[in-house]
Amino acid sequence: MTQVLPGVQESAFPRKLALMAGIGFLIFAVFPLLFGEFQISFLGKLFLFGSLAIALDLVWGFTGILSFAQGVFFSLGGYAMGYYLKLNLTAGSSDYGGNLPEFMVSNGLEQLPWFIAPLQYFPIAMVAMVLVPAGFAYLIGWFIFTSRVSGVYITIISLAIASALNTFFVSQQAYTNGTNGLSDIAPLSFFGAKIPPIGLYWMCLVFTTAVLIGAWWLTKSNLGLILRSIKENEARVSFLGYNIASYKIFIWTLSAGIAGIAGGLFVALNQFISPVYMAVPFGTQVVIWVAIGGRGTLIGPLAAALILGQVQNYAEQITQDWQLIIGVLLLIVVLFIPNGLMSLVPKQFGQAKSPSKSNSSHSDAGYLQAQLVDWITPLQKLIKTTLTIVRNNRPRC
Amino acid sequence: MSLLSIQDLQVEFSGFKALKGVNLGIGDRELVTIIGPNGAGKSTLLDAIVGKSPVSKGKITYQERDITNYKPHEIARMGIGRKFQNPNIYNDLTVFENLLLALKGSHGIFAAITSKLTRLKRHKITSVLEQIGLIEYAGTKAASLSHGQKQWVEIGMVLAQDPSVVLLDEPTAGMTPEETHATGEIIQAMSEFHSVVVIEHDMEFVKQIAQRIVVLHQGQNLAEGTVEQVQNHPKVMEVYLGRERIAA
Repeated sequence: MTQVLPGVQESAFPRKLALMAGIGFLIFAVFPLLFGEFQISFLGKLFLFGSLAIALDLVWGFTGILSFAQGVFFSLGGYAMGYYLKLNLTAGSSDYGGNLPEFMVSNGLEQLPWFIAPLQYFPIAMVAMVLVPAGFAYLIGWFIFTSRVSGVYITIISLAIASALNTFFVSQQAYTNGTNGLSDIAPLSFFGAKIPPIGLYWMCLVFTTAVLIGAWWLTKSNLGLILRSIKENEARVSFLGYNIASYKIFIWTLSAGIAGIAGGLFVALNQFISPVYMAVPFGTQVVIWVAIGGRGTLIGPLAAALILGQVQNYAEQITQDWQLIIGVLLLIVVLFIPNGLMSLVPKQFGQAKSPSKSNSSHSDAGYLQAQLVDWITPLQKLIKTTLTIVRNNRPRC
Repeated sequence: MSLLSIQDLQVEFSGFKALKGVNLGIGDRELVTIIGPNGAGKSTLLDAIVGKSPVSKGKITYQERDITNYKPHEIARMGIGRKFQNPNIYNDLTVFENLLLALKGSHGIFAAITSKLTRLKRHKITSVLEQIGLIEYAGTKAASLSHGQKQWVEIGMVLAQDPSVVLLDEPTAGMTPEETHATGEIIQAMSEFHSVVVIEHDMEFVKQIAQRIVVLHQGQNLAEGTVEQVQNHPKVMEVYLGRERIAA
């Protein structure tokens, strides 16, 4: 009954991809043991930035919603973790009088505000780290996407949100410590044991890997198909019976939730959070990672965050005007490789296509050529292909 | 009783009345062809039915339910499928994926995440591919198809939705005579299972498929009947005189 449809992939487990990812994971898990503490923390941060970029790629690269507010969700998660660690440090030391953080004391607060107090408990802080950014995103998303605001206007709204929230956090000195943000906070510890930097780094690595795999799996499902269609022509999808608004709200909220967790881990690693991460420049950086890495590729934005982070690190040591270097890089990518760095990688690489299936004889030459471009196991593929051709051309009796 | 009925429908675009009271009834498994000069309001009528253009006055009833000004995705889920004038398919996706996207079924988010390509779905898509004659293009990116083939994919997407009412806006636009004829056969086969409304310009094609013709002019019904009745209708002759001659 099942007819073979030419060129239609059977969904198979992407063995090659999983192998590559596994090797990459192991390298990044073991290699940093040789580094110093600073490098370990730095790499961990870059991985979190990478997961932030992957989250934006879901929203921008797949669904076509360009947002500069990714840093807002990141910071909201970061502040949740920040308050937790701050309150636990203060509780342990009685220098500032009870369990009130020093900036609250100096700004005249006499007791912990009710909306911050619950954050001193670990489970509540963890839930808030995800739910506050996701809930905030859901609220904004509901207003934006059900009112049929589209295209560049969404981008403008995202800029406004980033600026507004940044200003708000700066202005609420007594509650947020303004531009100084939350610093001098307790290290993250489980059951009284402080987690060493390498442990935090591994948490970041596992988290980012999970985000990458999760995002890959999501976009390979029918949901990915629908998101890509919304990006290309959203009106048409609604005439097929899909409620576009609910899809957009879903992916937007999911992306914010991921950003929130990334922000929380970032604070545990960085020991510091300030409204700088909410503002437009940081949001722009996330956009740049996705643009340079390649929209809709997931792995591209992650790679771009890792590479650009390192470039930035070295550029900062050489010159104060490191942003100029990043800017020039961005220009080069936009002008010469508009689809990002991932478009330079051969197409065949990373695709879950099993070689001997679903290829009729009419494309043997092109097929051979395509396989040769693959630079992982060219020899093995060549032998396989030759065998298939020989088998197909054998005279039948 | 009509499956889909339109009563005194009016559509306004910032003061301009595109439809000034159109009446139309479509029976179960009936094939209706709508013709009319440019600007008669043919496409606007379809836009109003599928919820794309807001209706300012009048009523659209489907299966005895008032669906006037419902949202596009709600109307689509009730079983009204539409093919647009220009091929509106997803160039980035393969023909197979285009049809998979359109396939009838649950349109919820979690269904989309967990859905598997079942044998039943494959079978359904294969049968649509057979109907539109594109079986060997299943894995081809829609971008690399010819214009006529894209039109067929678009028709296939409507078929995959398995609607009760199919609305086709100029299905043969830009097709060669052979492709046009093949499309006519697809539409006739379709009308055995669905109610079909076709908007057309090509009179040769209208003659091939038409059972009942409705003529619109300046946002109003002008005439109705068989091909012959319409061609010999004095008002229709008057409207088309000096433009394009309706008698081909």
